[in-house]
Amino acid sequence: MNWFFNFPFKIPFDVTVIDEVVRDFSIKYDAFFSGIKRLLNGMILIVQKGLNYIPWWVFILVVIILGWKLSGKLRNGIIYACFLSLIGFFGLWDLMLETLSIVVTSVLISIIIGFPIGIIISKSERINRIVRPILDMMQTMPVFVYLIPALLFFGLGKAPAVIATTIYAVVPLIRLTNHGIRQVDKEVVEASIAFGSTGFQTLYKVQIPQALPTIMTGLNQTLMMAMSMVVTCSMIGASGLGMEVLIGVNRLEMGRGLVAGTAVVIIAIILDRITQGFVRAEEVSNNV
Amino acid sequence: MKKLIIGLVLSLMLLTMFSACSTTNELVFADAGWDSIKFHNAVAGFIATNAFGYDNWREVSGTTPITHQGTLTGEINVHMEEWTDNISTYQQDLEDGKLKEVGINFDDNYQGFYVPRYVIEGDAERGIEPMAPDLKTVQDLKKYKDVFPDDEQPDKGRIYGAIPGWEIDNIMHNKYLYNGLDENFNYFRPGSDPALSAALSGAYEKGEPVVGYYWEPTWLLGKYDFVLLEDHPYDPTKPEEYAEGKTECPPVRVTIAVSNEFFEKDPEYCVFLSKYRSSSQLTSEALAHIQETGDNHMDTAKWYLKKYDEFLDDWLDPDKAQLIRDALK
Repeated sequence: MNWFFNFPFKIPFDVTVIDEVVRDFSIKYDAFFSGIKRLLNGMILIVQKGLNYIPWWVFILVVIILGWKLSGKLRNGIIYACFLSLIGFFGLWDLMLETLSIVVTSVLISIIIGFPIGIIISKSERINRIVRPILDMMQTMPVFVYLIPALLFFGLGKAPAVIATTIYAVVPLIRLTNHGIRQVDKEVVEASIAFGSTGFQTLYKVQIPQALPTIMTGLNQTLMMAMSMVVTCSMIGASGLGMEVLIGVNRLEMGRGLVAGTAVVIIAIILDRITQGFVRAEEVSNNV
Repeated sequence: MKKLIIGLVLSLMLLTMFSACSTTNELVFADAGWDSIKFHNAVAGFIATNAFGYDNWREVSGTTPITHQGTLTGEINVHMEEWTDNISTYQQDLEDGKLKEVGINFDDNYQGFYVPRYVIEGDAERGIEPMAPDLKTVQDLKKYKDVFPDDEQPDKGRIYGAIPGWEIDNIMHNKYLYNGLDENFNYFRPGSDPALSAALSGAYEKGEPVVGYYWEPTWLLGKYDFVLLEDHPYDPTKPEEYAEGKTECPPVRVTIAVSNEFFEKDPEYCVFLSKYRSSSQLTSEALAHIQETGDNHMDTAKWYLKKYDEFLDDWLDPDKAQLIRDALK
């Protein structure tokens, strides 16, 4: 009767083989992975230096102006600025910049990778069928499963954090770029071809502008997902606000964790409202 | 009809829940996430089920603070390895009577900054030249910042610190500041235990230089050949110097603690726990056995009890010791 409730047989499968292969692979191609690591660290360093170069009040001014222009209400801009200065009052400004350097680098890489892939899969049904399950896997595979192997290849710190964040966050950008281009009216595309545009011209001058609100929504989602990885990445040594949360949680210092967590939320909300403002602005300009 | 079915299903669920609750007489151990505590749980659990009439035992998994918290609230009965130095509130909780310390598991362990042996002596077999031949003490590190470069900031060196949130992390950071290593090294917090062990073992497998905090007894230091960097000797009369990072790390008292509730409920088992004793050496031996043979913790516990049969007489009454010997056969 046991086979009725219990699965009747198991295949003997030695998972330690995978351990060995991964380890050998990381040793054999060390030079290659070190190259990628150096490239990523270089990018992060440039972004971080750039952010450090901007004085704090410029940040706040930019937030006021963007919040004002994009929502049409000065009040919104000022509210965002107040929240942002709260991070400064908490004494978390430098940590915020470190966190932002990881998020910004990940989003930049996501754009560089995700945008072309989205366009390619929008052009071919077959590629779309192949890529979709891969995207599903990237979003649902538990992060820790590839976080620790990433350590073996890229060491500890911001470089593996950027890789893990990009794997997780690039997906909505690909999906919505694909979706946006596919939903452009056939008539519009046909018209542009009838006027003699080449395939590239149709894409560049008609489809992408038409799809831009959807693509921006994808970018907004990518940004939010990158923010949500901040704390997870601190577990592999990415410093910043996430590390502050982790220390707070590990020591059961609720206050410390809560303050740093609130700072993460503030940044996420401000980034979300501003990028959503861009989406709306695009929609308005498209409709005119 | 629908209501009837829902009612039936609900009552069935309740029934199974109740029956599950009433029949089990189980012991709950803490699993703080590393191997040695699981091994000690298996030994104590094996003895509990075979000599103290428990039906079974299980582990609640978590991190150091979470399992400590679980012991305070009574959701965990027995915590076999309370690393007292790594829990900032341990002394306070003990004084407030929130949990009972019943014994010391071991107190002869080492921790501190480690480097692979090949960094100092080289390794002819793997073709590694000595990279820092005069490195002996923490203070010597200053001369070797170029040996341990930080990828994120190449003009500085990198020292891997302890797990953020552990008490020892503050102490190691103080040590780093006290010895002036902040001038040309970054103190890099690895975030979690698997991240730290991946960083050290990854570097070791590649034959790269690395310096970082680690502790014994662990499988990592059992498997790889690391050297502990020396520091000024610890002075027991001035423990504050250790907290300020001026001296080497004295051994941590790793205690066995039980929840207040359990202390009331089963004093007999607590007497056994108070006699329970191992050492860093013995624990490492068991962990090495796990690594080498691939046995699980339970099999290793049986192997351990067979090998060190005399412990049973130290820990248990003669009749109970006999029950265990019978169960081991």
